[in-house]
Amino acid sequence: MNIKSLIKRNFEKQPVANHSDYKSSILRAPKNNKINFPSTVSEISGPSFNKDIIRELDNDLTLNFSNKNQMPIGQKIIVYGKILDQFHNPLDGILIEIWQANSGGKYLHEKDKNDAPIDKNFAGCGRYITSNDGFYEFITIKPGAYPYPNRGIEWRPMHIHFSVFGKSFGQRLITQMYFQGDPLIKSCPMINSIPNSGAKKSLVGCLDLKKSKSDKVLTYKFDIILRGYNQTFFENRIEGL
Amino acid sequence: MNYLNNIYDETPFQTAGPFLHIGCLPNSIGIKNIFKKDLGINPFERKFESNFITISGSVFDGNGEALDDIMLETWQCDENGYFFNDQGFARFVPDPINKKFVLKTLKPGVVKEVDGKYQSPHISMSISSRGINMTLNTRIYFEDDDIKNDPLLSSIEQKDRIHTLIAKKDSKNKFTFDVFLQGVKETIFLNI
Repeated sequence: MNIKSLIKRNFEKQPVANHSDYKSSILRAPKNNKINFPSTVSEISGPSFNKDIIRELDNDLTLNFSNKNQMPIGQKIIVYGKILDQFHNPLDGILIEIWQANSGGKYLHEKDKNDAPIDKNFAGCGRYITSNDGFYEFITIKPGAYPYPNRGIEWRPMHIHFSVFGKSFGQRLITQMYFQGDPLIKSCPMINSIPNSGAKKSLVGCLDLKKSKSDKVLTYKFDIILRGYNQTFFENRIEGL
Repeated sequence: MNYLNNIYDETPFQTAGPFLHIGCLPNSIGIKNIFKKDLGINPFERKFESNFITISGSVFDGNGEALDDIMLETWQCDENGYFFNDQGFARFVPDPINKKFVLKTLKPGVVKEVDGKYQSPHISMSISSRGINMTLNTRIYFEDDDIKNDPLLSSIEQKDRIHTLIAKKDSKNKFTFDVFLQGVKETIFLNI
């Protein structure tokens, strides 16, 4: 019998649901344990998206909303990396969606009440579908840090939100990328909802100085690892290799 | 080779935050002309909507407040129990006024597993939002189906909580499914 199954999640390397330093989590964290069960076809299947949904400028946030001959204000950056599984196999055809604040730390969203200006040339959304080697790239503006109410006013470090569809519903991931060297990372209660220091560090995009020099754009590298599948034995050979 | 020694850690989750519409549903908040259309508006575009059922409900926090700053995603098979990767996915948010979500979709069929077991009709659902550090997963089953032998439901020891996974039938094609993040009615969440 050969049943494909997702590798079980290691919750020690994930955020805890109820992290009292992050006030919004207190009333939204379930108290009961989650139910474990073997993977079924419902979890090992999932939606895939055809590359024809992507338009040329979807991954260029400096141009996909800007008026003709204008650019958003701020430091232009490239964020790139690979989508890999837990065996470091590159995953192709993976849809990535990102969203972020503008360079002043303001989201183009009516619920963002921060006293910072909208940039009429910047919406802050982009998407990309990975190529054969799992590669993705976004051209954008470095997002600003911004204050928000939590334990009094606190500051969110600069970050970009990532939504990643795997090959299956069980691989789906929603996370955030932070920026190497940002002093606000250390005190952020959202990052600190992850107890494991190595896991926290894996959310920091690293400055790629070499590529920054060659491309003449400040470049950050951020690889993302999605769950893998257990290797199952079938008639003495390993499936899926 | 020992593959078990070479398993890397999955990237950790972070909250989707309150502004997830910008990246996931931009057209819904008036950011037009970037993406052709928002994803998951109609999970079965090639099927007749006259055959669809409606599932509506709210997601409640620990104070019993219905939330509107959440995103729901669902994944399911078709009416015959078959999964196709270009259909069956839906993405939606509650109405900001009445705080209810509405999912119009095909009623899923019975799913035959590779081990020969049958899963009762169900829809996989995920919930992401501000304050949810790691996307929550649950399932919607249906009151009018035979669910006695479903492998997942029969494995749940807290029998008095199983009802939290079952949509109530209001009329022929209408169901209600509320989600409770906390409290005595807390929904069963799954480690998928």
